Amino acid sequence: MKKTGIVFFPAFDWSLGESHPEREERLLYTQEQIFEEGIIDLPQVKQYSPGVANLFDVMLTQAVFPTPHRHKLDAHLIAVGSSMILSKALMNKEISNGFAMVRPPGHHSGATVWGNRGFCTLNNEAILVNNLRSQYGIKKVAIIDTDVHHGDGTQDVFYHDPNVLCISIHQDGRTLFPGTGFTDEQGGPNAWKSTVNIPLLPGVGDEGFLYALENWILPRVSEFKPDIIINSAGQDNHFTDPLASMNCTARGYGKITDMIKPNLAVLEGGYSIQGALPYINMAIFLALAGEDYSGVIEPHKPTRSEIGGETFRTFLAGLKQQHDNLRPNWTLRQEPYLPAGEWVYLEKSVFYDTDWFKENRREYIRKCDHCGGTVLMITQNLMTFEKAALVRIPFQACDTCEQAGYDLAEHFKKAEKTLLLQNQLRNQVHLWSQGEEVSLFES
Amino acid sequence: MSYKLGIDVGGTFTDAVLINNNVVHNKGKIPTDKDNLLETIVNAMDLLDISKQKIEQITISTTLVTNAILQNRLPEVNLLLFPGSGMKLSSLPWPVNYEVLEGELDFRGREVNPPNQQEWKQLVERLKSSLNPQIAISGKFSHRNNIYEEQLASYLQKELPKADIALGSQLGQTNFYRRSLTTYLNLASQVQFLEFASQLKSAIDTRKCTAPIRVLKADGGVLPLSKIRPVESIYSGPAASVLGALAQSSSEDSYVVVDIGGTTTDIGLVLSGSPLISAQGAKIGSFLTNVRSLAVRSVPVGGDSVVLMENNKLKLANYRLGPAFCIGGYNPTPTDALRYLNLTDYGSHARAEESLASLLPESKRQPQDIRELAEEVVRIMVDRIGQAIEELQQEWQDEPAYKVWEVLHHHEDLEFYIQLSGGGASGIANALADRMNARTVLTDFSEVSNAIGAAMAKPTFSWTLNLDTYLGRYRIEETGEQGKWEGSKKPHREVEQFLKDLAYRQAETMGIEGSSLQKDQFDYFPLVESYNTVGQIIRGGMHVPPGVSGRIVK
Ligand SMILES: [Zn+2]
Ligand SMILES: [Zn+2]
Repeated sequence: MKKTGIVFFPAFDWSLGESHPEREERLLYTQEQIFEEGIIDLPQVKQYSPGVANLFDVMLTQAVFPTPHRHKLDAHLIAVGSSMILSKALMNKEISNGFAMVRPPGHHSGATVWGNRGFCTLNNEAILVNNLRSQYGIKKVAIIDTDVHHGDGTQDVFYHDPNVLCISIHQDGRTLFPGTGFTDEQGGPNAWKSTVNIPLLPGVGDEGFLYALENWILPRVSEFKPDIIINSAGQDNHFTDPLASMNCTARGYGKITDMIKPNLAVLEGGYSIQGALPYINMAIFLALAGEDYSGVIEPHKPTRSEIGGETFRTFLAGLKQQHDNLRPNWTLRQEPYLPAGEWVYLEKSVFYDTDWFKENRREYIRKCDHCGGTVLMITQNLMTFEKAALVRIPFQACDTCEQAGYDLAEHFKKAEKTLLLQNQLRNQVHLWSQGEEVSLFES
Repeated sequence: MSYKLGIDVGGTFTDAVLINNNVVHNKGKIPTDKDNLLETIVNAMDLLDISKQKIEQITISTTLVTNAILQNRLPEVNLLLFPGSGMKLSSLPWPVNYEVLEGELDFRGREVNPPNQQEWKQLVERLKSSLNPQIAISGKFSHRNNIYEEQLASYLQKELPKADIALGSQLGQTNFYRRSLTTYLNLASQVQFLEFASQLKSAIDTRKCTAPIRVLKADGGVLPLSKIRPVESIYSGPAASVLGALAQSSSEDSYVVVDIGGTTTDIGLVLSGSPLISAQGAKIGSFLTNVRSLAVRSVPVGGDSVVLMENNKLKLANYRLGPAFCIGGYNPTPTDALRYLNLTDYGSHARAEESLASLLPESKRQPQDIRELAEEVVRIMVDRIGQAIEELQQEWQDEPAYKVWEVLHHHEDLEFYIQLSGGGASGIANALADRMNARTVLTDFSEVSNAIGAAMAKPTFSWTLNLDTYLGRYRIEETGEQGKWEGSKKPHREVEQFLKDLAYRQAETMGIEGSSLQKDQFDYFPLVESYNTVGQIIRGGMHVPPGVSGRIVK
């Protein structure tokens, strides 16, 4: 029998503030609903208990600066670890798919982390995906983000990685946090077109989402031929969500899940905790378990006006055209410390809305025809003015890029106060602070 | 001088003990007559000659309800459901018929769609022909609001005065599916149980005994015969094994309880002196219930399991055909293997050899062949028990956790030993110790351990509160009590005192001492609407954990 796994971690003793949207109450009614319905008693369902991720798994994927020990990570490590319980069960063939219904969310947390933004500190899906690649030999992964907000953190982690396809469909960044996710963001120099952004007008409902899936997202995924599909299953496209303005229903989410057929769905946002979450979580889970979700009906009816039909199809066709026609325009940069090769230069500013500060980041990506290319990031927290460097040797790095990574690390160990070397090729992580290596295993 | 009497009705044997001041005064064992459990119990009492002593309490662990369910000897019950919307009922396997009625509540017990009175009228028309209709009514989220169940019940009671009606909300734990099936089973077993109870009472009366009668539950606790819900008496046998071990070990120990019976071996887990309780309700036959039970495994292998040779492969059947060959039975069994290997001295060695040899071809009946065969039988038995122990320990590790604190303080590492009881326990002790890499300890009163467990069991009960101060409603899961909350919208100490008072009051009527009540963690969920806190949902509990009233002294 094909088994569907569930790990339910509602973090009932954790919140970002008593009346914050990300509070204890958020999955309370979901718990009432799913356990009252008896979904755990479905013969094909297996419930797993939560797990705790370790800092090594985190730092292989995300550079938590200045050191992970400076952050309150407990709840986040459990959300990551619980999601990874399911990915391990998937790899061990105990389950054929699964749903990590966990708090806190993660998709706004990017390659470098100085704090919490968009309620996220650690990126559940990104850490999980790189664990699958380093431990289980998974090569290609597609992440489809159906949260109403742009999955900017996930995009940031994999922006230079040609083997992870990141697709985010969301409400237009001009009308919603985090303000990014436009069609011109399509990946770095060695990973162009492995990032796809589909920004939608407010008011799109089930019809529009399903149309975009069928006509854009799914064809792109099947062209990419991933080994595994992950769904960042945010639920804030619901017609009752207080933070966004879309029109999806619970059954629509069930249908979306049916079409994506993810190996793993990981809960992201969704802040209509009574009107939407209990129903969407049910519908997504039933869809994964191959059960009928047509009876999952919210007590309220949509009241927002919906954008669909010909208007939507024309809009989407225009957006796709714009996307397809874009050509990248890279800026090359020379620096004395950069090893041989062509280095593309990018600049980025990240806003941490929870703690209200900014990070500025400079990125150098080694152009390479043989691998994803070694990446250097120099970042500064503009509240504390602390600086740090990240050097990433990618999975399947070529010899030249690997050597370039070591050379950069050698330089920045001394040149910056903090350096993280993410050696994804050799599954190694080294963190230096003031020239001394910091252990990731003490707390 | 007063005595505690404990009787455990097992599948094969019924054990009885008389305990005085933690000393076993008398004990006995008789075969169980499956078709007449009452007589078996009465015979066991007479064996111990109870009329000669002053008995202070009688505790019975009986398979009455378990057997009635497993053997499908229950009367028909009309199961009426208010499932509302959500998952299709047909997604889950329903072992009984049901009828669906209109009417829907949401997860906080708020009304979404009202019931349809027209349906109720038609229902009465159909049920009218039945002399004494048995009706179980169960609604999704009725544990949050019993309004529809109550309305329908009072309507039906008026129209059908002879009907017996049970409500799902009275078994108020979350899980509509299990609650419905448990309500069904409880109502269906009620008539048989009440009849059994009244006959037992009069049988005891005629022996001039006035001691209160208590019944052992699946969770290892006892309740008075008049207070127990029949369905709660299922699986009391494995619970008795665990309590028996508890009464014969030190109070802070951690160990695996292994009780070897004729055809089944019961396994339980004790963590620092407290039996592990299953995170899920008990499953009986094809019914999933919300009956609280100790986490136990029953492995279908015991001292009398028939040993078979099928296509040159040794097999342990999961049934018994009389006693072991070495003590006069007709089939080779693990008991014969243990006897042959001189691991026990029970029965005839020559007969043990004969029975094992019969499994081998005539050309291969050298002592070495028989010895290997006997060792293989023991190995299979020990391996099955070992696997079940590992499963149970995994269940403990896999207990769900919903809070950061719980995950970070999940489980301390405990060192387990194995507490062995039952026939042949001493025979497999070494093999099991090797298999589990743990030391084994033999229970002193191994053959009546379950009866000791029953006699020494303490009452258990829990009061789990769910309070919604915004809607002004509270519910107690275990009793199904639902009421109005008139206190503060954001209470703190006040609500803990409220539950404490309620629990103390009700504990008294169940013969439970207030001092044995323990307070659980209370969780406060602020209810927020448009960034304002408008109330709280509070979950908390008081409970009396399973345990024993003393430790047996030799
Ligand atoms: Zn979101
Ligand atoms: Zn390269």
